[in-house]
Amino acid sequence: MKPALLQLRTSDFGLRTSFGLRPSGFGIATSLLLLMALCASPILVSAISPEALFQSGATAYRASDYSRAAEAFRQSVVLQPASGALQDLGNAEWRCQHTGAAILAWEQARWLDPFNPSVRRNLGFARKTAQLEAPDLTWYEVVSTWLPANWWAWVAGISLWLAVGMGILPGVLRQRKATWHQAVAALGLMVFLLSLPAHLGVQTRSQIGFVLQKDTPLRLTPTLEAQAMTRLAAGEPGRWVRARGNYVLIRTSRTLGWVERDQFGMACPRAGKKAG
Amino acid sequence: MCPPHDNGMNRGLSRGIGAARHSLGSRFKSGSAGLFTPACSLSPRNIQHPTSNIQHPITYIRAVIGRRALSRILPLLLAASYSLSAQPSGPAASQPQPRIVLRGTANDPGTGGVLQQQQMPAQPPRDPFMSLMMSQPKIEIPAVTRATAAFDPPVVRPGEQSLLRVVFNALEQSIEWPTNFTAPHQLEMRPGAHGQLLQMTPTSMEPLTAFNCRVRATSLGSFTVPEFVVKVDGKRVTVPSARLDVVTAPPASVLPAERVTLELPVTNLFVGQPVTARILLPGSPAGMVQGLGQPQLSGQGILVDLGGVRQRFEMAPRGGAMAATFIYETTLTPVLTGKLTVFAQGFTMGSRFSGPVGVTGPATTPVNLFRYALLESEPVELDVRPLPREGQLPGFAGAIGSFSIGPPKLATNVLRVGDPLKLTVTITNRGEGPLARLVAPTPPQAQDWQVFAATDFAPTQPVAQPQPFIRFGPDGKPVLTSAAQPGGLQGIVTFHYTLIPLTETARATPPIPFSYFDPKAGAYVDLTIPSVPVTVRPGAAPGDLSSLLQAGSAGDEPEKELVLSDLTVSRGRTASSLVPPQQQSWFPLVQLAPAVAFFGLWSWDRRRRHLEAHPDIVLRRRARHALRRQRRVLHRAAQEADAPRFATAAVNAMRVACAPHYPAEPRALVGGDVLPLLPENERSGRGGEVVRRFFAVTDAARFGTTAPAITDLFALKPDLERVLQELEQKL
Repeated sequence: MKPALLQLRTSDFGLRTSFGLRPSGFGIATSLLLLMALCASPILVSAISPEALFQSGATAYRASDYSRAAEAFRQSVVLQPASGALQDLGNAEWRCQHTGAAILAWEQARWLDPFNPSVRRNLGFARKTAQLEAPDLTWYEVVSTWLPANWWAWVAGISLWLAVGMGILPGVLRQRKATWHQAVAALGLMVFLLSLPAHLGVQTRSQIGFVLQKDTPLRLTPTLEAQAMTRLAAGEPGRWVRARGNYVLIRTSRTLGWVERDQFGMACPRAGKKAG
Repeated sequence: MCPPHDNGMNRGLSRGIGAARHSLGSRFKSGSAGLFTPACSLSPRNIQHPTSNIQHPITYIRAVIGRRALSRILPLLLAASYSLSAQPSGPAASQPQPRIVLRGTANDPGTGGVLQQQQMPAQPPRDPFMSLMMSQPKIEIPAVTRATAAFDPPVVRPGEQSLLRVVFNALEQSIEWPTNFTAPHQLEMRPGAHGQLLQMTPTSMEPLTAFNCRVRATSLGSFTVPEFVVKVDGKRVTVPSARLDVVTAPPASVLPAERVTLELPVTNLFVGQPVTARILLPGSPAGMVQGLGQPQLSGQGILVDLGGVRQRFEMAPRGGAMAATFIYETTLTPVLTGKLTVFAQGFTMGSRFSGPVGVTGPATTPVNLFRYALLESEPVELDVRPLPREGQLPGFAGAIGSFSIGPPKLATNVLRVGDPLKLTVTITNRGEGPLARLVAPTPPQAQDWQVFAATDFAPTQPVAQPQPFIRFGPDGKPVLTSAAQPGGLQGIVTFHYTLIPLTETARATPPIPFSYFDPKAGAYVDLTIPSVPVTVRPGAAPGDLSSLLQAGSAGDEPEKELVLSDLTVSRGRTASSLVPPQQQSWFPLVQLAPAVAFFGLWSWDRRRRHLEAHPDIVLRRRARHALRRQRRVLHRAAQEADAPRFATAAVNAMRVACAPHYPAEPRALVGGDVLPLLPENERSGRGGEVVRRFFAVTDAARFGTTAPAITDLFALKPDLERVLQELEQKL
């Protein structure tokens, strides 16, 4: 074993073997750095925690430093999405005159927490001020807004397996099927069936995005020299159809065309990339 | 500017018109009754090129001339045309002239008509819009941009204001006017008004743009603003230098600069409070007065109502005497709070007006001899306060002023359920301000009535009586120009509501809340439209109108004012990702877990039931397990050379292997029970011998008095293994 260790030439890694392992200068420095990193890791973690970033953004917002507040809220949201942080991000973006980013943030906050009345009012306020229209939702998409988008999958899964369990477990447990077993099974099945449209609504709503930049050209083809059919206002909704290169084909309430990928923000970001 | 009588052509022309007026008598008609009819010149050019736009005079003379009258004025026309052809070109010559239309009467077509028929060959009728378009003179942008600069007046006293007026023959949008330029430090320069108009040339219209700069000199001397370069359409245009003389006593030959004056009745306003703004351009002491072109109020945070513009000539006090003054009157409404600055500006336009002009008293306007000059007034500062939120009454729709309400009038007092009823109410403006943008009160939600909003908004705006106006003179101090007290009728608005009774229990129309803000009292005043008694009879087609009422009340809920929310104090509901779980890869696996669990449970239950139905399977399985256990003991005993244990383990192994076949308790089995399970040849062969030998040894050990010889048992181990293997295969 010892020759094998020597063949590894541990001195190359800052450690050299003489009588056991004796650290070299580089090894001492590396060890110290590692030690300091280990000691400071709790501090670092707390400094970049979503809560700390959120508080930092709130402080900057109260000091009317809206761009810094928006950056802090954005970092907080990147670490862990939260409806309150997204709402404040929207407020900060609105103060920075970034209508598209503000509406996108509020829509994401509404995606997480549709019960938040402030977000709903903010969206109404922004759309009324900027003369924008809300996304045109189908009935099952409207149903999907009754609960947070993340809930519907769990509701469907739990209700399904509850119904299945209520059908299987009494027999397995050598119990006579009682009325309540059947009632719970029927209830679970009913909830599962009712959640299916909402489930579908979440799927289709995840394709909705919003124009981020003012006067975004809606192109006829996904090329830089393409003819601009019209120009979209910041915050105008659209549905992701497909992507090609750096361009995204979106369907607005009036027409269909290509916009640059950076000019269109999805309420459900990874869904957009997946679609692309 | 030269007076018109200095021009020989105009003098002859005036004579011609005077002769024509004298000869025609009552057949000479002005453009419209009450409108100002300026002195005019006759020109064949103007007959061929009538124009009409905002710079073009809309007052023109329509003369209905008969054959005899035309025979009299025809020589005059020819003389006038001759004099025009001899007139040197100049600014005055390039001005558009009033239009002369020669017509015949119905019975007598007149010479003019004959002439027109002879001159105009038969042509297909042209599209009137196309004719109108073709009749417009084209706008020509001069290839060479010229710039002029001059002080107005060129000689001032110290501290007196003069305007540095720079004029270009280019469009305003094409001029990159510098924010500052070099000037003597004794001159205090501030930017002033700027504007553009299209001036008439003999064949077309040409843009004219003026930039004013307010200049005050602090010391005596002669100061020159050096020439500077301005970019016009990307080309460099040199603005010539201009000189300003500052003396203690200007010579009498230097006339004071023409100024417009902005008059506002009050400068302390509430936001949304309309006031009448008057722009005054006084005439010369000789009685010559001209109109303003493109008059406007400039400033941030104000709204000017162009729909209520009135302009007129009126005698107004000036320097202790009455002088003809052009007055442009409009409505100004502040829309922002705080200190707002507003000033008036406009081009001198001679006798050209952009709308009807009323005339009160004598006034003479120059027709040709004038120059386009951009005039401006002193800036006026408005102190605009917000409306108080406390004390706001229902039905407030932004009305500010002093109003009174007339008795509401109904089309009828007896009606049936479902019949529409028209309610008319008159709002009278009793305040000093104009009646601008008065919004009808929102119809209320009534139990027994369906009320539709006022659809027929018909405001009437009589000309206001003279009111006290604050005029801001050249020194910037306000001057009260009239001592007449305000009051009287300022305007009337009539609102019409349509009411439909929903039940016969309705006894009176619902009161309609309405309130206004009185700026003098600083409080809201209730002016609710009172209810009027009616008699409602059952309708011809009874129906459940309550549903209609409910639908209406549900849809007409007052909309909450949308405002941006405050900052949240908590991060709110969190999630690991914005992506819904069903789109994440782990979610199907998570959903598979209960499926697998349930399937396992189901399978286990099925197997359990199967084993319950076939207990021999369990016995054999247990026997196999016991046999393996005994064989391990057997091997261990053989290794340790423990013969008794070896024999016991061998017998136990054979017993547990045979027990499921009977079935029986393994301990109850004897060697005779084992032998039948061996193959036929083994029973009497080596296998049977091994079985008998081991059972005999163990029986002797258990029941005998002497210990049997068991040392040779280890030699039987291979045969024993074979027997056990035979028995195991049968399990």
